[in-house]
Amino acid sequence: MWDKWFKIKNNLGVIGLNRRNLELIYPHNQRKYYSLADDKVKTKELLQKHNIACAETFTVITKVSEIKKKWALCEGKEALAIKPANGCGGGGIKILKKTAEGHWKSGGKIVNETHIFQHITSIVSGLYSMNSSDSCLIEECIVPHPFFSEIYDEGVPDFRLITLKEKPIMAMLRMPTSKSDGKANLHQKGVGIGVDMKKGTLTQVYDGKKYRDHHPDNPNKINGKPIPYWNTMVDLAIKTAEAFPLDYLGIDLVIDAAKGPQVMEVNVRPGLGIQLVNRCGLERAIKLRYKSV
Amino acid sequence: MNPPFNVRTVIYGILALVLFSLGIKLIPISENLDDFFAEEMYQVSYKYFLKTEEQKTFVKTFLPKNNAHQRIRQEHFGKKPYWTFQRNAEGDNIKGLWFTGKDNSYESLDYTFTFEGKAQTFQVPTTFGKPKPIDPKYLKETKFIQSNHPKIASIANRLTKGLQTDRQKVKAIFDFVNKIPSAPIINLTDAITALEQNRASCNGKSRLLVALARNLGYPARVHGGIILEEISKRTSHAWAEIHINDKWIPFDPLNGHFAYLPSNYLELYEGDEFLISHTPGIQLDYIYEIHKQHKVPFLRMNAGEVSKISPISFWGLIENKIISAEALLLLLMLPIGGLLVAFLRNVVGLRTFGVFLPVLIAFALLETGFSTGILLFIILILLVGIISRPFNNLGLLHTPKLVISLTLMVLVMTVGSYLGSIYNVPWLTALTFFPTIILTISAERFSSLIVEDGFQKATSTLFQTLIAVGFCYFLLSNNWLSSLLILFPEVLMLVIVLSMILGKYIGLRWTEILRFKPLLNLKTA
Repeated sequence: MWDKWFKIKNNLGVIGLNRRNLELIYPHNQRKYYSLADDKVKTKELLQKHNIACAETFTVITKVSEIKKKWALCEGKEALAIKPANGCGGGGIKILKKTAEGHWKSGGKIVNETHIFQHITSIVSGLYSMNSSDSCLIEECIVPHPFFSEIYDEGVPDFRLITLKEKPIMAMLRMPTSKSDGKANLHQKGVGIGVDMKKGTLTQVYDGKKYRDHHPDNPNKINGKPIPYWNTMVDLAIKTAEAFPLDYLGIDLVIDAAKGPQVMEVNVRPGLGIQLVNRCGLERAIKLRYKSV
Repeated sequence: MNPPFNVRTVIYGILALVLFSLGIKLIPISENLDDFFAEEMYQVSYKYFLKTEEQKTFVKTFLPKNNAHQRIRQEHFGKKPYWTFQRNAEGDNIKGLWFTGKDNSYESLDYTFTFEGKAQTFQVPTTFGKPKPIDPKYLKETKFIQSNHPKIASIANRLTKGLQTDRQKVKAIFDFVNKIPSAPIINLTDAITALEQNRASCNGKSRLLVALARNLGYPARVHGGIILEEISKRTSHAWAEIHINDKWIPFDPLNGHFAYLPSNYLELYEGDEFLISHTPGIQLDYIYEIHKQHKVPFLRMNAGEVSKISPISFWGLIENKIISAEALLLLLMLPIGGLLVAFLRNVVGLRTFGVFLPVLIAFALLETGFSTGILLFIILILLVGIISRPFNNLGLLHTPKLVISLTLMVLVMTVGSYLGSIYNVPWLTALTFFPTIILTISAERFSSLIVEDGFQKATSTLFQTLIAVGFCYFLLSNNWLSSLLILFPEVLMLVIVLSMILGKYIGLRWTEILRFKPLLNLKTA
């Protein structure tokens, strides 16, 4: 309607929030299944049921009274991640690594058990979920594949694949930068890197303002750089999309140095910035994908 | 946009219903369309109570007439046996005269009319043109307007010394008289007494202003009338008029209206006269009963008359005092405001704190005034956002944390109002008009947004909320729309229709056009 008035040519088929909600999310994702994606514990149960690779769950704590007993299961591990099942924006996530002396270390600081228990208690009592209670997920800590450190050596980069009715539509790689404080989110000063779905290579870097052919903290060009395990990741995304009763998904994958690709998160309302990163509208990507099949 | 069949059916169904209902009402109402556009409407009754004596008894008063400022309708004289009523023109004025030969009896007389008025603002040119010849009485000294008195002359001289333009001179004498302390003096105060006592009521002040103007050579006169408000009163009002470029321009030195006539001033007569005169020596008492009417701006009828034509309107609720006009308006405007916010969010793409917050803030602004209100809103959000920050770091659960912010908000509001009342700062006392709980949630969201997305994005959301508030304010302060809604509540059904269309809108939001600019092919014309 307005595009006609303003003489805007949307040749690339860019989809806005209105259209994403009305044509992609509402018809394809039923609200009753949202929790399968929003709750990390439920997501992982479903992934494990279908034998889809994901970080190994050490334990799930749902009550304060279980903390001591269940923590005992994790004490022998070398590294782990503590997460709220319903957290948002990465709030409440704590990565713990064991030092040579056998102490737990988080963000460069030694933490004792009391600290850890306090953190778990606040997760379970819903501090990070805007809720009265939540579950605390303790899982294996991902070690990023050396492929990522060739581009930028900090934080945990991940791939985002958009799937519509079990078909991958578009993908990008999100990477932290020296300005993003370890976070890979585009609106937190991370960068998005476009992905050529057919070739399995990286295309261009988008920092929210302009396009480049290299990561802002690394002058080496990345365009055309092949992505390791690309076909495995596409297969994982398809298997995940098949496992979930949700037809429009943003699937987040990481590549572990030892175990290869793993599904980290599933999103029912994936953002639209991916269109900018790939310089292509979702409408066009969907058309291309369905024509070629 | 191609809504599915069922959506379209619902839309057409509702439209048909609304049109049918409107059609029934519109035909009789359209015959009463009005282009006077009065802002206020009052019903005024003069009531006189008197005892006649042996001789003939009369009561005289000034009657209002129509002009660009006011319209008088439905004049009604209570017919009394043995009384005769006459209406006489006297110069520019109209006088009503009641007389009777009936003696020694207790009588009551009344005269009722409907007043519709609009405010008038006049331009005062810097230098006045050469006037056409005017009745010399407007420059002459009179018993109570001693314009040639040495004291008047010396004050007029002192005030206008060194001033170049006519406008500056008029402003100087106006400000001087305006600053004289007001006092409710019932006795007649002449110009000199007002000056010497340095306190005066409306009649003393207007005589003094007229005397000063005449002394400077500007034709001037006293103008009499009544300030209309929802009370019964005995006091009339007087102001001054100065003849500027062949027009009489009003100046009210008591209430500080410079070349401005408020919409509730009933104009009755020109000249230094008494509103009522009667047979000397009789007992007479009087009262002016005034009732504010609900004015429908575009109709030549008041609300009551409209409801006679169309029983399905909400005036009944207001007339029977079931609900106040303000509360009803708030209720009816809420969906319209909501629709506006929906448009701003889904089509324009503004981010706002809460969906209906902008509407509610706009309602608060109707009470506080726009700029004061906006300022207070920003202060409240920032202050509570900032002073609740330390509590964020204590690791408290969400709901108790919200209660703390709410308490802080209430404390800030009440302490502010208290300080406002003891130090007499009116804008501070306006704090309590704001919807506390929703404001608290916004302040809370603001402070958590600062943490999540940084100060810049949080203030940007705040700014966009303010833009939405501005749009809502100008929508809500439109009294045509409010009258329309009260008369034709079925218009609200159109809100549903428009929301359905809006709800199927899949185009890019305007802000998204900016966001995706690198991918869009933007062409100008």
